[in-house]
Amino acid sequence: MNVAKISAACWLILIVSWLPIAAYAQDLTIIDGEKSQQLVLSDVKQQADNTVTLFDPYQGREVEVRGIEFRRFLVEQFGEVPPALHFTTWDDYNVTLSGWEDPNWLMVVEEDGEPLTLRSRGPLRLVERDIGTRDIAKLREFNDWIWMIRSIEAQW
Amino acid sequence: MKESESLEPPVFWGKRKGRHRYLTWLSLSLSSFLALMMLITYESRWVYPEIQGYFSQTGNLTGQQLATRSRSYVQRAQEKLLVASMPADISHIRHHLELAYGLLDVDIYKQHYACTTPSLALVDELTDLIEQQHIAPLDAAHSLFIVVECLTDIEMSQLDRRGEAINTFATSTRRHSQMLTYSSMVIFVMGLLFWGMHERQLRRTERATNETLAWMKRAMRDPLTGIGNRSALQQDVLARAGEPLGLILVDIDFFKQYNDSLGHPEGDQLLRRLASLLEEQLGEGAKLYRLGGDEFAALISCPDDQALFNACDQLIATLRRSGFKHPAHPGNQHVTLSVGAVRFVAMEVTFAHAYDAADKALYRVKIAGRDGFEVAL
Repeated sequence: MNVAKISAACWLILIVSWLPIAAYAQDLTIIDGEKSQQLVLSDVKQQADNTVTLFDPYQGREVEVRGIEFRRFLVEQFGEVPPALHFTTWDDYNVTLSGWEDPNWLMVVEEDGEPLTLRSRGPLRLVERDIGTRDIAKLREFNDWIWMIRSIEAQW
Repeated sequence: MKESESLEPPVFWGKRKGRHRYLTWLSLSLSSFLALMMLITYESRWVYPEIQGYFSQTGNLTGQQLATRSRSYVQRAQEKLLVASMPADISHIRHHLELAYGLLDVDIYKQHYACTTPSLALVDELTDLIEQQHIAPLDAAHSLFIVVECLTDIEMSQLDRRGEAINTFATSTRRHSQMLTYSSMVIFVMGLLFWGMHERQLRRTERATNETLAWMKRAMRDPLTGIGNRSALQQDVLARAGEPLGLILVDIDFFKQYNDSLGHPEGDQLLRRLASLLEEQLGEGAKLYRLGGDEFAALISCPDDQALFNACDQLIATLRRSGFKHPAHPGNQHVTLSVGAVRFVAMEVTFAHAYDAADKALYRVKIAGRDGFEVAL
């Protein structure tokens, strides 16, 4: 009886301890003015229909990524591409950027067949499909790539 | 006319040459200043992106070092470990370590800092041990100091690299700045020099033009009386093409005898006095010319024959009133004039006929005894 209780308690502790982790990085908040919406990442991942191979300068190698064309995603969420977006990430990074009409941007959910996690700078990451002629040794030329996206707020 | 024809080509050739030089210096001068502007623009273009690259990285992904951000999360995990009292804290510790791992797992760190890969492995291992509670929190926090040390090394080294890059940039900027200064000075001086040459050429051209105009003016003047000469008469007739004009030819009677008796200086004096008198008498609308020797011509606006008749009549009358002495005059002790006149519409062809008609009229006056006038009809 005691063993059963201890076992149940252990499971409970384990579940409770994992709950916040489960809460971490499992959704994406979309904010449009007063309206705020939580998207479940699994739903977002289902929309990922673009698979491309690109060079990731932060990893120094080519990776195969799967994701959603970010412009299309924005149109689905906001009706049109907002002039600027404010991003909040899981590492408390905040930034506002514009110019999202460019179809070159891809919101990545999976890399080399594995879902992105925080340790692989996920669960959502914005990258450019074509990096053009930029110097891959200069990371500052890729500083508008957004990692660990937690929320996206439209700024009109 | 022959004389002017022989002079015109060198004058115009000289003008063309002067104008060519003037344009050359002007274009060289403007080119120098344009080159200076282009140089400044080029140097600015060089400097600006470098400044952007080094000094405007705040507020974006690489504005703060990834190692710094990673260290921050390792230290937060350490803090949690030191105060961990509930299992729920484990999830936070794991979260911080995951973020620290993600921010440290960068290729450039792995390439340049040997401690990176072992630190990543250590974070990995400690995350598992903490989750499984197989390590005392204090020990885990202590072990993470290895990662913190690695991250601090990376930060310091990256700062040194950035410092070196900024120093290189500063040196390069100084070199470019010096080059810009010296080049600007040289180009500016060249520009001024060319501009000076252009100004000099401009003045030369102006002087040559003025000299040419003065020469042309002199060529149209009778040096003795200051009135126009035969060339001026022809030019004026052509300039007034289509106008009804009166041509009056005036000849001093017995002028040779005047010179013989009183001397040529007195003869010259008489010519000057007569020129003044005729000009005054004919008025501002008329123009007087000396055709040579004792012969004068006048052009007046002449709407009808009567106006021409009146002008000739008044000319003779005024001279008589003036009473210029002529001791050698055969029938009169005063200077007298023979005048022939004609009215015509100014054109090159008609002028030749008009001159001929006026000359014949004057000749008839001479035959008839001089001291009079006749208007050819």
